[in-house]
Amino acid sequence: MSKIIGIDLGTTNSCVAVMEAGKPKVIPSAEGRNIIPSVVEPVKNLVGEVAKRQIILNPENTISSVKRLMGRRFSDAEVKKSQKMVAYKIKEGKDGMAVIEVGNKTYTPQEISAKILGKCKADAEAFLGEKVEQAVITVPAYFDDAQRQATKQAGEIAGLKVERIINEPTAAALAYGLEKKKGETIAVYDLGGGTFDISILEIGDGVFEVKATNGDTHLGGDDFDERVVDWIADEFKKDQGVDLRQDKQALQRIRDAAEKAKIELSSTSETEINQPYITQGKGGQPLHLTMKISRAKLEQLVGDLIEKTMEPVKLCLKDAKIKVADVEQIIFVGGMTRMPKVYETVKSFFGKEPNRSVNPDEVVAVGAAIQGGVLGGEVKDVLLLDVTPLTLGIETLGSVRTPLIDRNTTVPASKSQIFSTAADNQTQVEINVLQGERPMAADNKSLGRFILDGIPSSPRGIPQIEVIFDIDANGILTVKAKDKATNKEQMITIKGAVGLSDEEIKQAQAEAEKYAEEDKTKKELVEARNQADNLVFTAEKTLKDAGDKVKPEDKEKVESEVKNVKEVLAKEGATKEEIQQVADKLSEEIQKVGAAMYQTQQKAGDQPPEGEPQKEETAKDKSSSDKTSKDKDKVEEGEVVE
Amino acid sequence: MSKKKINWPEQLNDLENKWKRALADYANLEKRIDNEKQSFVKYSNLKLLEKLLPILDDLEAAEKHLKDQGLILGVKKLREILKSEGVEEIKAQGEEFQPKAMEVIEMVEGPKNKVVEVSSKGYLIDDRILRVAKVKVGGGKIKEN
Repeated sequence: MSKIIGIDLGTTNSCVAVMEAGKPKVIPSAEGRNIIPSVVEPVKNLVGEVAKRQIILNPENTISSVKRLMGRRFSDAEVKKSQKMVAYKIKEGKDGMAVIEVGNKTYTPQEISAKILGKCKADAEAFLGEKVEQAVITVPAYFDDAQRQATKQAGEIAGLKVERIINEPTAAALAYGLEKKKGETIAVYDLGGGTFDISILEIGDGVFEVKATNGDTHLGGDDFDERVVDWIADEFKKDQGVDLRQDKQALQRIRDAAEKAKIELSSTSETEINQPYITQGKGGQPLHLTMKISRAKLEQLVGDLIEKTMEPVKLCLKDAKIKVADVEQIIFVGGMTRMPKVYETVKSFFGKEPNRSVNPDEVVAVGAAIQGGVLGGEVKDVLLLDVTPLTLGIETLGSVRTPLIDRNTTVPASKSQIFSTAADNQTQVEINVLQGERPMAADNKSLGRFILDGIPSSPRGIPQIEVIFDIDANGILTVKAKDKATNKEQMITIKGAVGLSDEEIKQAQAEAEKYAEEDKTKKELVEARNQADNLVFTAEKTLKDAGDKVKPEDKEKVESEVKNVKEVLAKEGATKEEIQQVADKLSEEIQKVGAAMYQTQQKAGDQPPEGEPQKEETAKDKSSSDKTSKDKDKVEEGEVVE
Repeated sequence: MSKKKINWPEQLNDLENKWKRALADYANLEKRIDNEKQSFVKYSNLKLLEKLLPILDDLEAAEKHLKDQGLILGVKKLREILKSEGVEEIKAQGEEFQPKAMEVIEMVEGPKNKVVEVSSKGYLIDDRILRVAKVKVGGGKIKEN
């Protein structure tokens, strides 16, 4: 069964994605990038990056922005406008449609687009290691039937069965998982490399309806770059008297630098443009380009371009007969939306934070892939593997939480660990199953408790109790405790260890963060107590085992230190430092005893066994919440081309 | 779950399909991880090497201009290090223009389709392109003497 790929066939760049194991994945091109420039040289059959690199050498034969010609007549105003911007020749073809002449051959815009789609197909096949024959392709919401048909034909020429043509804003909404919304109004703000689109969509029961669309077909990131390049060149001319725009080599370098600076200024407030030996002065001396550009300066340079996008937004709302306040969600598409000023402008207009959690360069292709997955039956009823939202563990000595299964573990999962007893002759242990991120047991949610008894009497640390946590695919947790000596076991089954509401998870994580410092201190205190307690036990056992082999004065010293430690431990509110201090002293004295015993060439007593002790607790019942399963609603597109 | 009568053959078919799909996705993932692991080991330095190239450009420009012996030795050392990591310069000067490895920044007078001047050097790493060369290419009109 072959996959249906999703293709965002853009004016400047294209992007391909596919569903894999229920998740969309953007397919890298053969050149190793996630986007393919929509540029074609049909004579030598160069597509994408490679075609773009030779555009200056071969401008008449290199076709870019072919999307502007798709399904349009030669007499169309948009075609006329395009002809002014490109070096290749546009002619009138069959039925008055716009065609492209390269050499002595004419190509339809469909044929050129097919080359781009063909590369998308080839790259996808190389990535997936299997044949790809079906695709979902996106088009702007304003595309009319002829333009959609042309896009579909382009796919067919490329050897792809076009399963569906969907609107770009619809694809973006799908990528954001908005198909589940009922009766929500959203705005899709798409500022790409060369075009700006705004669409108002209404989503109801998996059907997307485009209420209105508007935009500016000649406004995008390239205009922003041009402003920065001009500014750099002007500043340099002011300083050095040389116009860098006259030197193609220098111009190329400042173009690259301007784009880099623009991108950097989305995350920093100032960046440096540093291009040594950019050109030569009048006297032949080398000139260097060094200047700083701040985010504020960039915003000043392009402010009017951003403002220019707001007019179509207003018109679009007017056409859709929707008030600004009624737009419930704004989603961002296109690389330029990464610019903080764009975000601020849109936010202040709508009075809401735009959503930009999906990569804006890839969001449309991702949405197309999801639609492909739905059509191929892959997304519907897809097996969604859950993860444990919070850490699962048990309570151990000193009310400490010991984690068994970390949060974000994909289920089904299973984990086991060996524990032991905390006291001599302890015949039962209580397992308190905990969920949460806090290190102290009491601060976490107890999911349930049970007691394993019948452990044979033995010194502490000797019994081996295996605790097994197992979560099945339905999120049902089974905790089992087994005494390795007797094979006696006890277990508990807990439902709802996986299903938690987002609020519950957020709250638990927030608390863990908030109390991190306090919890750490508490845990360290308990650890110090446990260590001191263990030391006392060891010391007493050493003295007992050694009997009269220990000099009475040494024995006395140890006993007095043991008494000290016990007193400190008994004291309410003893600090970690106090405990450590007395414990260190005791440790010193025992070591002296040990050393003395070796010195007298006498055999020392057996080392006491070490183990992780288990604390005894009291039982308490705890109810559990039910896991809610998320079924992906069937997605339907409002507009379909058959 | 509704209590509708279950169509067992259909259910079986559906589950078999899903199972096969999951197996296929997994097998493909395994293959890809294998490949990625290998290329990760091989190309993990790629990003760093790529970032070093503009510095080499600057140093070479300075070298050409200053002709300082110390600088020349330093640049030589940097070149040697890059070479030891498998970084190789793309031969462009005088060669036929190759869009796979080069980008034209200007068309100038000179033999048609031949690289007349290299504006910024391109580099390969184990036959894979690290950075394309930016070149000026001849447009066919041969310069008169």
